[in-house]
Amino acid sequence: MQLKISEYLKPEAIIMEIKAKEKLAAIDELVAHMVKNKLVSDGKEFIKALAKRENLESTGIGDGIAIPHARTNAVQDLLLAFARSPKGIDFSSIDGKPSYIIFLIASPENQKSEYIMALAKLSRLLRKHPVREMLRNAKDSKEIMNIIKENEE
Amino acid sequence: MLTGDTDQSILSVAVQLCKSCGGKLFVLFVIEPNRVSRLASLTHQKVNLVYDKTEENGWKLLYLAEDEAVENGVWTSLHLEEGSLLDLTKRYVDTYQIEALLIKRKDESKKIFVSSSIPVIGL
Repeated sequence: MQLKISEYLKPEAIIMEIKAKEKLAAIDELVAHMVKNKLVSDGKEFIKALAKRENLESTGIGDGIAIPHARTNAVQDLLLAFARSPKGIDFSSIDGKPSYIIFLIASPENQKSEYIMALAKLSRLLRKHPVREMLRNAKDSKEIMNIIKENEE
Repeated sequence: MLTGDTDQSILSVAVQLCKSCGGKLFVLFVIEPNRVSRLASLTHQKVNLVYDKTEENGWKLLYLAEDEAVENGVWTSLHLEEGSLLDLTKRYVDTYQIEALLIKRKDESKKIFVSSSIPVIGL
């Protein structure tokens, strides 16, 4: 199955500078942004699913990256969102460092294989140091979209 | 501990084991460069192509483990590293104070059984 991350990340799901300073507030802000842009129907249910994960694991994968994620019927299809924090947010990362780039992934309960595939592809993409640097320095959402499109396989 | 030739069956066992004893699950996928090169040579593929496939498969196994762990209320931590399985095993046992190892691979697991300072469960 060939899944392209760029096809699931919409410009209206990108926050270039997130205001929140800690992880649950960051998740709240991202979800509120998605609800506002009509990408998510049930914000409360979505936050509940994401918070459940955060309590059972660290979604901070290190190198300044966090990927909060959940399978929940609060979304209709596989969905990605992006946020950037200039000062970094503590996502209890495995390397103890703050997260500057936050990707949120959600899928309906019945789309497990697409969900796992998206997480795997995104994690692999973000292991590349040049990609992380470009995402941190991008000027706008259009540039974020282009970086992902050009670097994913 | 997972490697390029590990299948999914180990994941459920690991999750259930942690659930039954109230343990935390650390899932480590190791990309072994020697094994990647050997596989590339045997299958006449480019090394970087085999590496990419191995890494993507690694992330999939990690997230499958995590998904099952979350459904069972088991605390999880995912790790993907490149290097020697034996060296990384020792490092992780020390760093995270791991109390038991679960592994499913015939050749390398023999060395881990012999050198490990903690119980090793082989599947």
